[in-house]
Amino acid sequence: MLVSWRYRERNTLIQKLDPRARWIFMLAVLFSVIQFWDLRFLLFFFALTLAYYLLCRLTWQETRRIWTFVLILVVAIIGLNTVLTGRGGPTEVLHGRAHVLWEARWTIPGVSWEINPTITVEKVVFAVAQMVRMLTVAILFIPVAYTFNPNHYGITFRRLGLPDKVAFSIDLAFRFVPTLARDFSITLDAQRARGYEVEKLTGGPIAQIRKLAPLIVPVTISAIVGAEDIINAMDLRCFGLRPRTWIHELRYTPRDYALIAFSVLLLIVSTLVRVLWGIGGFWVPDWALRWFGF
Amino acid sequence: MQERKWYAFGTREVVFAALGAALYGVLSFATNMLALPAAGNVAFRPAVCIPMFFGIAFGPWVGFISGFLGNIIGDALSGWGFWFWWDLGNGIMGLIPGFAGLLIRDFRSTRSLTIADVFSALGAIVGMLLASLSEIWVSGVDLRTALVGYFLPAGLTNVINGIILVPILMVAYSAITARTGR
Repeated sequence: MLVSWRYRERNTLIQKLDPRARWIFMLAVLFSVIQFWDLRFLLFFFALTLAYYLLCRLTWQETRRIWTFVLILVVAIIGLNTVLTGRGGPTEVLHGRAHVLWEARWTIPGVSWEINPTITVEKVVFAVAQMVRMLTVAILFIPVAYTFNPNHYGITFRRLGLPDKVAFSIDLAFRFVPTLARDFSITLDAQRARGYEVEKLTGGPIAQIRKLAPLIVPVTISAIVGAEDIINAMDLRCFGLRPRTWIHELRYTPRDYALIAFSVLLLIVSTLVRVLWGIGGFWVPDWALRWFGF
Repeated sequence: MQERKWYAFGTREVVFAALGAALYGVLSFATNMLALPAAGNVAFRPAVCIPMFFGIAFGPWVGFISGFLGNIIGDALSGWGFWFWWDLGNGIMGLIPGFAGLLIRDFRSTRSLTIADVFSALGAIVGMLLASLSEIWVSGVDLRTALVGYFLPAGLTNVINGIILVPILMVAYSAITARTGR
């Protein structure tokens, strides 16, 4: 099994930024955008994250799979569901009948249950707002795997305030991946040589899960046995007795400070606007009503 | 089995947390590639037994990091992006079984395996419930969609995977603990 990190050097403005500054920016935008339902505010955040995404310079080839998943989720599951049911919306979306675009009354034969689906302008606007909100969050985090150097995760989270041991665990986990992937591949080949056919597991779901044990158990147990040697080596080097040093060092540049300042300001202003002034709730634009003929 | 404090996080925990995370990430990625049977639009993820087992064997923090970081690694390898609340839910799925370790002395007895199964199921339910309910806040779905559309398929498949595979791993692990002397 070939395991490769999605990350590669791209010489972009985004990758020149300190990873800590980028995490602070992403979290500030996330906690800002989820406060709003007003399409005007959501479009601002969408434009901001789209600019960030474009600056990452990811190719369609790289991201095709995730975009298919995100678009199916956003359009089919979130969008259509919201247009038809208004689920998750405020009162005017769920119960408002002022601007009805389409409605039907169906009776289920046999049980005489009545279904009364209604599409209103409010539901359509709410669905658009929800899709924009969801896309904004997706766009913000899609570049993580592609643009953060896996070798820098440990030092990044250490310098963001996580304890040394947790940060080292993160660093170590990323280093284990290629070895474990190779072990998995060897185990899979060895089991296949014994007649194990993972692609043709028979029986019900429970039987099929049980039949995966010959694959999962050897990889896990041999990794645990191997880890004992690593623990012994680390103990012999007195791991954890003093604060550790890291091979990679991170240094903020003026543009990192600017990004952090912008992120903090964005979060503060968003919270003030929403919580103190109560602006940014659900909004139906007049042009939408006119567009639908009301 | 050696006595240990549940909150301990020494060298042993650092290494096993990293190992659990890497294993969970790799096995999630591998089973995605193998196109295992799926119910609706939720694929079975047998690898969820890893954070549960690592929690039981090495403590709650190891279980939490295995689930949380392992989900990030699995998503990163598969190119799914970063979904914080689902990562947190996966972390809790390893954290809660970790407390079963306080009640388990022998990894082979029926009582221990039953306790492990109960805590694994509880971990899957609480973890996936938290992740599903977060969608109300993050994606704006209503409670019914969060429960029926997200929690039920994800929670149910993880419970089944956990209660089947965790005892198998525990019995296999008990065979090597005596050999390593740890």
